[in-house]
Amino acid sequence: MKRLHAVSGGLLAAVLMATTSAFAASDTVRIRVSSDLRSIDPGVNRDFNTDFMLQHVLEGLVAFREDATIAPMLAKSIDVSDDETVYTFTLRDDVTFHNGKKMTIDDVLFAWNRYMDPKTDWFCRPQFAPGGSSGVKSVEASGDDKVVFTLEKPSALFLFNMARFDCGATAIYHRDSIGADGKITQQLIATGPYKLSDWRRGQYVGLSRFDDYSALEGDMDGYAGNKTPKTANTRFMIIPDAAAAKTALLAGDLDLDWQIDPSQIADYEKAGNVELESFMGMGITFIAFQTRDPKVSDVRIRKAIELSLDYPQIVAAVSEGKAEPSRSFIPRMSPYFKEAQAVMPERNLDEARRLLKEAGYSGQPINILTNKQYPEMYNIAILAQAMALEAGINLQIDVTDFATHGDRLRRGAYEMQVFGYGPRLDPSLIYDAATGNKDKEPNKIWDSVEAKKIITQSMIVSDMAERQKLFDTLEAKFREDIPLIPIFSKVITSAARANVKGYKAAWTVGMPRAWSITVE
Amino acid sequence: MKKLLLYVVHRLAWTIPTLLLVSAMVFVLVRLIPGDPAIVSLGDDATAQQIADFRARFGLDQPIPVQFVLWLGQVVRGDLGVSVANGQAIAPLILERFQVSATIVLCAMALAVLISVPLGLLAAWRQNSSLDVAIVSIATLLLAIPGFWLGLLMLMLFGLKLGWVPVIGYVPFSENFGAAALYVALPIATLTLLEIGLLVRMMRAGAVEVLNLEYVTHARAKGLGERAVLFRHVFPNAFAPTLTIIGLALGNLLGGIAVMETVFTLPGLGRLMVDAIYGRDYPVIQGCLLFTAFIYVLVNLIVDLLYPVFDPRVTAA
Amino acid sequence: MKLSPQGMFGLMLIVVVAAAGLVSLFWTPLNPLGLNLGARLQPPSAHNLFGTDEFGRDVFSRAMVGARISLMISLLAVCFAVVVGTFVGIMAGYSRGFLDRVLMLCTNALLAFPGILLALGIIIIFGASITGLVLALGLSFTPSVIRVVRSTVLSLRQREFIEASRTIGNSEGYTMFAHVLPNCIVPVIVLGTSMFGWVILLESALSFLGVGISPPTPTWGNMLSGGRPFLESAPWLGIAPGICITVTLLGINLLGDALRDRYDPRMARA
Repeated sequence: MKRLHAVSGGLLAAVLMATTSAFAASDTVRIRVSSDLRSIDPGVNRDFNTDFMLQHVLEGLVAFREDATIAPMLAKSIDVSDDETVYTFTLRDDVTFHNGKKMTIDDVLFAWNRYMDPKTDWFCRPQFAPGGSSGVKSVEASGDDKVVFTLEKPSALFLFNMARFDCGATAIYHRDSIGADGKITQQLIATGPYKLSDWRRGQYVGLSRFDDYSALEGDMDGYAGNKTPKTANTRFMIIPDAAAAKTALLAGDLDLDWQIDPSQIADYEKAGNVELESFMGMGITFIAFQTRDPKVSDVRIRKAIELSLDYPQIVAAVSEGKAEPSRSFIPRMSPYFKEAQAVMPERNLDEARRLLKEAGYSGQPINILTNKQYPEMYNIAILAQAMALEAGINLQIDVTDFATHGDRLRRGAYEMQVFGYGPRLDPSLIYDAATGNKDKEPNKIWDSVEAKKIITQSMIVSDMAERQKLFDTLEAKFREDIPLIPIFSKVITSAARANVKGYKAAWTVGMPRAWSITVE
Repeated sequence: MKKLLLYVVHRLAWTIPTLLLVSAMVFVLVRLIPGDPAIVSLGDDATAQQIADFRARFGLDQPIPVQFVLWLGQVVRGDLGVSVANGQAIAPLILERFQVSATIVLCAMALAVLISVPLGLLAAWRQNSSLDVAIVSIATLLLAIPGFWLGLLMLMLFGLKLGWVPVIGYVPFSENFGAAALYVALPIATLTLLEIGLLVRMMRAGAVEVLNLEYVTHARAKGLGERAVLFRHVFPNAFAPTLTIIGLALGNLLGGIAVMETVFTLPGLGRLMVDAIYGRDYPVIQGCLLFTAFIYVLVNLIVDLLYPVFDPRVTAA
Repeated sequence: MKLSPQGMFGLMLIVVVAAAGLVSLFWTPLNPLGLNLGARLQPPSAHNLFGTDEFGRDVFSRAMVGARISLMISLLAVCFAVVVGTFVGIMAGYSRGFLDRVLMLCTNALLAFPGILLALGIIIIFGASITGLVLALGLSFTPSVIRVVRSTVLSLRQREFIEASRTIGNSEGYTMFAHVLPNCIVPVIVLGTSMFGWVILLESALSFLGVGISPPTPTWGNMLSGGRPFLESAPWLGIAPGICITVTLLGINLLGDALRDRYDPRMARA
């Protein structure tokens, strides 16, 4: 760590000399992040921000392409056996770690064994452990450049789980990263295009270009492809408050805010020297019901509430016109979003009132839980309450802080709630997160045995057409049961100063990538 | 002297049960807040086993009294534990963040005192003149403005519109004085303005009271010049109640500064505490509150010791 | 009761604001909760005196309701602090000895809690309802009342008429409430007027941090923090509640000063 200070001291002094935007060094791209790195140990203590920052520093055997399909990254190629239980990874021979050492098969095995060691607490260990969705029976070296994984049973999600950013992309790092206490806390020696060079906790995370990075040929392609950084340094400025970030961007103390609140769009458009770019992400925001609560256990009441809302208006207001409503639990950007998913019923207040009367509802207050941390969740509740009132439905808004909301979600202690899932790139994962037996898992929203069977099936089958059929069946069942009402896939809008070029915001995974950015 | 020493020891001895009580209150309060630190940290996708392991690791599966005793044992040894969120050692973290908050609070308070004391004295000396009215009006107005609103307006004006200072960032003075000064100029200025509102009025009120007392008339009758009267008799006695207010304000600012730190993006102690509460980071909340309570008690002790220096009618005991 | 001109001015400001709040119970120019998504973020006009917010709601009407809610919460919180604080303060100051020590220990412990964090914690526990807010705000200021009352009682204890009351055979309780209590009222009222202002500020700070009253109920605090994203494109959203708070606080401070000057200039000492 002392060595890092010496190096960073010079860099720091240079940047500090520049106190106004006029002198901002164009060898550093300053990107906003709303919270600090939780830890640099891949997949051990992480959140979304930690994940996307570390994706600049580390790489795994496989990675997501621009369209979220899986490509070889540190592996040169992958062979899958006919019965889909044996995966042979042929490793590249040109990969160097940040400390100059070449990556060998020993490094790969070392990293994997550490991941699977219970003491490491790897977040994705349950998936790969025996009995998991991609349970691994054995991992062996074959020759000096092949690693062979044998699975317990075929799994459509094996490579996908390996590439997952919340697993730290199953990154291969050098064993010198590990400190005396068996944890990675001081340095992360990995293979990515950047090195972690200067981390001021609570203030910024500074990365600098790894000059000996062995890039893949060709162009940028998601987390695979050519990731050579165009600018020497990237600094993630930790600014928790969205409005403060906006002021910083407008003042020139920040170059890019990759995810702004839709409410800020008006201010940015007025400013004129800021460019906005929007794209639809793979997260999904919805209103969920506690189907076991007597107030909403009658499906007619749920249907009535569903019919009373004006979704195009809600989404237009909440996203400042950037997003489109969707009534499917599968996000629009997913390759599995087809005709069945695109059906959008109309608002129907008369039918709503009729159903309410039939079900015997007469104005009893129904509690809708939301939080202030995510403005869209907050705003949807406000709008839903006003709209439902037109059908005679009395919704009472209950705002809590996010942790309390999560706690009540976990215990199933709500009547209705507005919530959202972050991007889960495969529909089976989205459905799986919400579906299950409420007796065993109170946090589940959809308690349906048939649905669970279909979902499990979709995780085994790899043929797209077959999976589409399964998802269509699920969609029909879903719309009948109404455990939750999907509202929209959040649109991510980024704001960059006019002199910031090359940022490619829109891709299926949606996480920000700094390597293509230059600041003039 | 011996009496004074005894008094200090007596007061310090009383801080221990106070801090103990504060710690116990924090411990209980924090665990009453709904929300499991394990889930907040691990996220929704965590399995039951992962959650159980997490709780065991941080001792959260023990009964509360046991947790409290274990924590106290650590504290006595100077170890405030590690953060549930990122494993950082809490004691150095608190000191680091405190440095930021303290710098701003102390600078602002010092500036405010330097400006308020003469202004307050002046206003009292020229009581009911137009100067007095002007000073009091401005002070009253400053007292009425919500602090963070003022901060926001200052940020927009001086940071954004005029571009005189950077809008985010922080560097300790020890590292780069020039840059540091620019970074903290706005928060200090905002806080100073707010404190001036409070202190000018206190100072003036105290001075008015003293100016009307007999011994001032007596001093004047003796032939003492106005300036001597002001500095040797009025100021010390008038300052005493202001001193108390300074102590209370300093103590309060340590927590209340959280809002200012949010507006100006400062990595300070106030923000650390608020984030820890939202993140259910029990060890950090406990450590921070213990620390803040200690500082508060210390500041009040110093104020109480200084009081007799200014107002000889009151003895410390 | 004759007050200085500044005091009268302060009282007038408070009366105007309170009147607006009271009127809002029966009438506001437009529906403060009425969404109008076609007229979002409109600047002030004849139709919308303070403009409209991001849902098209009339800001002036919301400010009126906000006056009512903010003032009501503050009043209740101050009453809570005053009632509980006076009771405890008299008990502590009057009884001295062990009870006094224990009560003061608890009071000092509470005082050592940064007010905003105590309030934050309590609100998260009890929920962001009016009850939770009143409890949180009230508890934050109760210790100050306790200390002021206690020191008043301590200085009163030595006075002759207390001794006299005891000598003629009155019970402690009677002495406490018939003689001690009335003398505490003035300092408490003076403290109370300052507290009123602090409570309003604390309420807006809490909204800023994200734990205010649940929507769609407007308070000045949540209007202020809700206006932050729009400072460039719709500044009236932030300016209106800020001015409301400032005007109210100004009135409170002027009135408090006048009361203090009128009754006892020495009450400044804690």
